[in-house]
Amino acid sequence: MIKFHPSARQLSDFVEGTLTPAISLMVSAHCDMCEKCQRFVEIETESLAAQMVSSASAKLDDSGDMAFQFGDMLAQITALPSDKQPESVVTASVSHHSKPGASTIELDGRTFTLPRTLHRYIDKTGNWSSLVGKLWQAPVDLGNQGVANFIFMGSGGSVPEHTHRGTEYTLVIDGEFSDGLSRYDTGDFIFMNGEKTHTPKAEGKEGCLVFSIVDQPLHFTSGLARLLNPFSHLFFR
Amino acid sequence: MLVGIPLEQSNSTIKPKECATEMSDYLVAVAEARCKRSFARVFNYFAPRLRSYALKQMGNEALAMELVQDTMSNVWQKAHLFNSEKGSPSTWIFTIARNIRFDMLRKLQNRKEDVCSDDLWPVLCEQTADANETSLDEQVTLEQIGFMFESLPAKQKAVVEAIYIDGKSQQEVADELSIPLGTVKSRTRLALQRLKVMLNDND
Repeated sequence: MIKFHPSARQLSDFVEGTLTPAISLMVSAHCDMCEKCQRFVEIETESLAAQMVSSASAKLDDSGDMAFQFGDMLAQITALPSDKQPESVVTASVSHHSKPGASTIELDGRTFTLPRTLHRYIDKTGNWSSLVGKLWQAPVDLGNQGVANFIFMGSGGSVPEHTHRGTEYTLVIDGEFSDGLSRYDTGDFIFMNGEKTHTPKAEGKEGCLVFSIVDQPLHFTSGLARLLNPFSHLFFR
Repeated sequence: MLVGIPLEQSNSTIKPKECATEMSDYLVAVAEARCKRSFARVFNYFAPRLRSYALKQMGNEALAMELVQDTMSNVWQKAHLFNSEKGSPSTWIFTIARNIRFDMLRKLQNRKEDVCSDDLWPVLCEQTADANETSLDEQVTLEQIGFMFESLPAKQKAVVEAIYIDGKSQQEVADELSIPLGTVKSRTRLALQRLKVMLNDND
């Protein structure tokens, strides 16, 4: 049973679109697995939409000019063609989405079904490599958002005690593990920061697959991105 | 008191529920018959509201108007994807606007390829994937840059950190560290040269 969820604030920021992309990805994948948070997101979306509609005051500076701008925009938009595709094309694209194999990853003969949000990242997942003990890791490149990892802890496998620079978000995809602080089950959304030290360990027979993201403090991320600027010509060819 | 657009006022007296049904009917007419008059009703109701919402969120008139235009273009072009059983017109339009804003901010921050709104909220899921995806091996990861950054000499690192990460000016850094401005400049230059060499070696 899922016990660990994103905070109400995180869910709300997710709906508003103000959470960072990497954390949004974790929250979205958690919602794929958690009906409770899905419902929360639905309700929050409706409430924010209602706010958008009602809070907007009719106050328009230079309303004449604004009306002209809107009129112009309306004419431009209605000149655009419809995007509606012929039925056959729609069917084709639907079948493309449910293509077998597009929603799973494999390790050592085992197949894991991923939450919908992570399907697009299957192509961006690197090869599995063995870490210490019974730990396996496959990196998922998120571009400038950094690197996420699928981590598989084999039965009895353990990550050496560590703490975190910045914050770490972990979503349990399949299985369960404990870390000396709590026990986590499939679907749990776990947040760790530099204040805590933990030793994750898979105790079940089947081992445990998690998806994990290390999110540097925001000012640091943007700082590093800015550090890239003087050299962008070297690698953005 | 400023004078509003007449249509705006006429709509503001409608109760939310009736309005949802009314807007829903207009969207169906747009989807089925490309009815421009119906679309104009939807547009006149939502465009000013989207504008104030966007203005509040982004604080920039040009960006706000861009968001309104992109959102309402999607409404016109993809009205057939609206499903009144799944939610109200305002919820649907809000999610389209939210997704566009999310992707606009991504582009503004010049993030080449990471998380796009379609992955998170497949509102307009008939859409095809982003065509301008770049190959990932062309990018240096932040992890690598962080590693290179850590290997800089302490004095250079302090200067680069203050300027590029904390966003301070060179003069501020000079004042804080009580060193001449020229020294800050030369340390920065040396640090960037060093990083450049490391990036080349990395290739």
